Amino acid sequence: MSWGNDEYDDFENKVLYVQTHGRDTPARSATPFFLAAAAAAMDNEVAIYFTMNGPQLLAKGAPEEIIVPKAGGGGKELRFFIDQALSIGVRLLVCQPSLDLHGYTMDDMIEGVEMIGGAAFNFMAIEADAVISF
Amino acid sequence: MDDTIIQADKVLDCTGMLCPVPVIKTAKAIKEIEVGQVLKMIATDPGAPPDMAAWVKNTKHEMLDSHQESDKYIFFFRRTK
Repeated sequence: MSWGNDEYDDFENKVLYVQTHGRDTPARSATPFFLAAAAAAMDNEVAIYFTMNGPQLLAKGAPEEIIVPKAGGGGKELRFFIDQALSIGVRLLVCQPSLDLHGYTMDDMIEGVEMIGGAAFNFMAIEADAVISF
Repeated sequence: MDDTIIQADKVLDCTGMLCPVPVIKTAKAIKEIEVGQVLKMIATDPGAPPDMAAWVKNTKHEMLDSHQESDKYIFFFRRTK
């Protein structure tokens, strides 16, 4: 598992986002998804790697339960931002140790999540034109 | 410049939409026209001019014109690939 998604061609650059924040901080949940979506809209090959608490955002049910707050109250479900990113080809990656940390298996993850390992993550970071961590 | 000078093959109205939605919709819309054809995009997000300048720089699509009409930003893009 690495860069090189044949489904989308003509990529200009590779951008890798890292999301370490989970359910406790809804205000930190959406930004990696919408920045990644913008990067993909610019014809870049884009992935978000979820580690530490990040996989909590991808657990089944969580995208509908997490409300991304906005000023003045209310907000939008995280699901909106996840779907926006997936719709433009952003890949969502998790690794086994950070699933174990929360007692998850891949069956607990929403549709569209891929499993990689620590070596694959490092290789993707080395190959990327930019790595952006949250 | 009068935008009637440039003939658009498709028009995308992003009025009222905020970052990053105009960029994402533009990226999808340009794939719905042929190479060489022109997409007109209308936005009200004040972030749109720098965003679309970055978008053409990275994607290599061509910006034929961009200008402001009252609160609207008007862009013309030619699909290059």
